[in-house]
This record gives sequence, C-alpha cells and structure tokens, in this order.
Amino acid sequence: MNKILKVTSLVIAGSLSHIGALSADMRIGITQNNVGVDSYQTTYDASIKAAAAKLDGVDVIVLDAGGDVARQIAQMQDLIQQKVDAIIIWPTNGQAVVPIVRKAQQAGIKVIVTNSNIADAGQPFIAAFSGPDNIRQGKYSAEMMCDALNGKGEVVQISGQPGYTTAIERQKGFEDRLAVACPDVKIVETQPGDWNREKSQRVMENFLTKYDNIDGVYAGDDNMGIGALNAAKAAKRTGIAFIGATNFAVGYEAMAKGEYYGSVYQSPVDDANAALKTAIDVLNGKDVPKKNYFDTPKITKANMNEFTKPVF
Amino acid sequence: MTSPTVKISSQKNITAWGLKLLARQGILIAFVFFLFGFSLFSERFLTTDNIMVVIRQASIIGTIALGVTIVVIGGNLDLSVGSLLSFCTVLVVDLHDKLGPLQAIIVMFFFALLIGALNGYLIGFLKLNSLIVTLGMLSTIQGITLIYSGGLNVDISNQDDTWFSFFGRDYIAGIAVPVLIFMGLALVIEFILKGTVYGRKVFAVGGNPGAAVFSGIKKNKIVFSTYLLSAFTTGCGALILGSRVMGSQNNVGQGYELLVLAGVILGGTSLLGGSGSITRTVIGVLILSFIQNGLLLLGYPYYTQWLVTWAVIILAVWLDVASTRGKVFTSFK
Repeated sequence: MNKILKVTSLVIAGSLSHIGALSADMRIGITQNNVGVDSYQTTYDASIKAAAAKLDGVDVIVLDAGGDVARQIAQMQDLIQQKVDAIIIWPTNGQAVVPIVRKAQQAGIKVIVTNSNIADAGQPFIAAFSGPDNIRQGKYSAEMMCDALNGKGEVVQISGQPGYTTAIERQKGFEDRLAVACPDVKIVETQPGDWNREKSQRVMENFLTKYDNIDGVYAGDDNMGIGALNAAKAAKRTGIAFIGATNFAVGYEAMAKGEYYGSVYQSPVDDANAALKTAIDVLNGKDVPKKNYFDTPKITKANMNEFTKPVF
Repeated sequence: MTSPTVKISSQKNITAWGLKLLARQGILIAFVFFLFGFSLFSERFLTTDNIMVVIRQASIIGTIALGVTIVVIGGNLDLSVGSLLSFCTVLVVDLHDKLGPLQAIIVMFFFALLIGALNGYLIGFLKLNSLIVTLGMLSTIQGITLIYSGGLNVDISNQDDTWFSFFGRDYIAGIAVPVLIFMGLALVIEFILKGTVYGRKVFAVGGNPGAAVFSGIKKNKIVFSTYLLSAFTTGCGALILGSRVMGSQNNVGQGYELLVLAGVILGGTSLLGGSGSITRTVIGVLILSFIQNGLLLLGYPYYTQWLVTWAVIILAVWLDVASTRGKVFTSFK
C-alpha cells in the first residue's frame, strides 16, 4: 500500500514538474553572492526578481549564496539536478567556483557570470560574462580628473579592498589612462580604503597632514570618496576635486551641492537586467560577446539630471 | 663556597628587577621609542596638527577600550564590541532622520545596554564562559544588524543641519569633541575603578573570585555590571562614529573588537583579570594609533600596521609573563 502511494506520488510529482517545464520555454537559475550585505546587492536582487516576474515563458529561480562558497556550490549542484537551461552566477569566489561551473557546462547548461568575473581557468566553461567594465570605469575617472584639474596637479588615490578584482581593475584603468591623458597629473600616493567610509576618512586625514597640496582625490567608489570629502571639509581644505566610481546616493547629493566633482554611474538595476538579457540571448542562440559589458557612463554636475538618484 | 650561589641569585635579581621595570614601564618606554623613531623619518609626525589627528582617530577605539578594560579587570573578555559598534552606529544614524537626534540616541543606548545586560546575565549569573558568549554575540549582533538594515547603507540626509554633528565633528576650545568624550570618560572611569568601593570590588572579583565571594562581594552582580559599562562605552563610540561619518555601513565595526583588545593588552591589563588601569589603556590605544599614523606617513600601506601591532603585543604579553616568573626564557624540559 505504502509502496503504491509512493509510486503514485512520484508519478504525480514527475508529471507536475513536466508540466512546469512545458509551461515555461526557458528555465534560468540564479545564484547570487551575498544579498543583504550591501545596498548594491540588495537592489540587484530586487531588480532581478522584478525583471523576471515580467517575463513570459521564462521561469527564474533566484537563490542567494549568502557569501558562502560551499553554499553556492551546493546551489549550483541543485540547479544542475533540476536541469535548468542556464545558470547566472555572481561568484562568491572567482577561483573556487570554477570546477562546479565546469560541471554545469558539461551538463549542457549555459553559464553566465554576472557582476564580477571568474578566474581565467573557468573562462572556457562560461557562455558569457555580463557586468561592468571596471578598467573602463577607471579610465573614465582618470579623464574626469584631467578635466577637473585642467591637466595639471597632484592627486591621491584611495583604492578598494586589496585583492578584489574590482579594486585592482579600477586602479589599473585609472593609473594607465591618467599617465597617457594628462601626464602632468601625478599620483602622489595610493592607500587602500577597503570600500569603507570611515577608514577612507582616516586615510584622507593622514594624507592631509602629510601633503600641503592635494588637488584631487580618486576613490574606488563614492562611499570612500565621501569619507575623503568629510575629512577635507573637517580640515577646512578646499579646492580639491573628488572623483569616485559607482555613484552612491551620498555622492549624488554632494555632486548636486558642487562638493563632489564626478563619478561613474553604475546601476544595480542595469546590472541585473543585463545579466538576465544576456542569459536569454544566449539561450535564443544570439551572438553574444564573451565579455558583455553594460554601459556605465560618467556622471558630473553637468549631466546628473539625466540620471535618477541611486537608491543606495 | 657560598659566593657563587650569591652571585647567581643577585644576577637573577637583576634580571627579575629589569623585567619588572620593563613590564611596568615598558609601555611608556615603547611609547617614547615609537614617537622618537617615527619623528626621525617624518618631520610632520610630531606636529600639533598631526598629534591632534592621531588622538582624534584613537578616540573611538579608545572610548570602547575603557569599558572593555573594566570587563578584563573583572576577569572576563568582551569580543562582541565590534558588531555592537556596527549595530549601534547603524541604529543611531538610521533613527536620526526617523525619530530625531535625541530620540535616536536614547533608543540606541537602550538597545546597547540591553545587549550588555544579556551578555552580563549569561556570563555573570549563568556563569557561561565569556569568550564563547561574546564570540557568539559578535556574529549574532552582526546578523541582527544586517536584518535590521536589509543590507542598505544608512545615511543622515541633512548633514550640515543637525546638532548630531557635535559628537564627531565639533571642537570645544580647540579640542575635538571625540577627544573630550574619550578623555572625560577615561577620567571618570579611572576614578570609579581606583577611588570607589565598586572599583575595588571589580579588582577583587577579577583577581581572586573565590576570596571575593567569601568576603561578601556579590560577584555575579559585579560581572553583570562590567558588561553594562562596556556596552555603554561602545554606545559612546557609536555616537562619535555615527556623527563623524554621518552614515554607516553594516560592517563598520568589523575588527574593532581585536583593535580594542590590542589596546587593552598593550596597556598592560592582564587577561587573567585583577590588574590593569585606565591610564595605561589610554596609552596603549594611543600607541596603536601612532603606529598606524606613523606607518601611513612613511608611505607604507595601512595593513603593515597589523604586523607591527602584532609584534608589539606579543612583546608586551611576553614581558608580562616573564616578569611574573622572573625569567626571560623557560627551558624546553
């Protein structure tokens, strides 16, 4: 009796899932890095759920690894078991997820990496990367710095957390472009600010003691840029151009007041939409570039009206 | 026949005396040594501006370290202060716009003391191990902070237009308010510890819990109260931090528990409880801050301070142990 029940329920469950698969043309699984740990990821999560809800014929399973590599690998295994058509992964660790990405690819699942890329060893196994071009963002910031200082001056740099690809790429983009675009703008010192506003404020206080003349500050994101601005305001040092990246609401407001020169507008909403669109394009057999960057334009006081204030 | 023995023992005495001196005054010697060393390499190091910056930067860690010193003297540890700082800062900044500054501060202190009371109850009355309780609390409070904020950064919207900026940004008679809070609290707590019956009870409980109980001290209550004090000073730290940054990330206090403990240990407060002083904690925290600032002025990345700090702490602990046993090294036997 028990056995019969079990078998029937299995059959029912099987046919149900079969119907589920039929009703949606595509099934896409998403495993995110760490929702809820910062504003960007929280907004990204909300956006991708909202975008997925609007799509017809696409069934989206949204998961969150909670910053834990082991959990992300387990989620990938689940998605492979469920035989989804594509997996969007925001790697918790670009190196550690390579083997499971490979396993997904071998199971015939298209893997799209979102926001931050996985290690080079994993590149053959992914269909595409969708995210911001951090080197280009660094370049944009360098160009804004040239404009702000009219091609001459001394700047300090507050970089992101050491070891983060985003931090490394932005720094590289900034330094390389600055050397070419305006060789008379010199970076006198670089210190990491760990994406942390209070730490950046402390670093900037030390810079202000150390250097009598600072014409510009480049910070790896606006959160750190605002920390530096706080320090300069407290020390009553004026005439410094602050340029950041990943425009935050506080940066946007300071820009409106004329205290903050410029930033790079990177919207988690665009980031989420781009990832979903890339996955769908890949599944539809469209020709998608391997590195599918979404646009992250420069934002200064002059053009800030074209952008809505960031939600984070 | 007896002369060699005398010689050895007098040599031993000299070593023991030297060690005692180093252990007692080593912190001051190290302080002067660092000031002197850094000033050789950077002419800006000993300028008034820089010294004021350093003391102001030390004031958040320092304020928290005052409360933690009391806990450590009482024979326990408090590792939860890092995420308690995050929680309190997020709370006070978030509520600032919703309830108004004064109400936000009151609510923040209420929750800080509530968490302190929970720590104190578990450790003082239920007699659970303080390391385990506060380590657990460290991640619990971090979780609560993330749930509360939903991962979003909190910011005060009208930053130029609130008296809340007083605690982190203002000056009175040329001295930064954070420094005044730090030094003011240090004086009050030093007086409580050294000049009141309550203070002597804290030392007694930490030094010899058994004897303290036999002499009629209510040990549970004393331990409980030390956690209230450490939660209170952490709340004060959050007040300075929130006002200084006018915004907060969820993890703003991450790692503070160790920096605070480093300052306390550097000051020579024994982790075994029963001895220590606020003045020395203040110096310990200042040393940490000067090391950080000095290395930055010399152009080293800030994480080099971790190496230097670690080395200095090991040295401090080693001197403490060596002076207790009167020998620098022990044999492997």
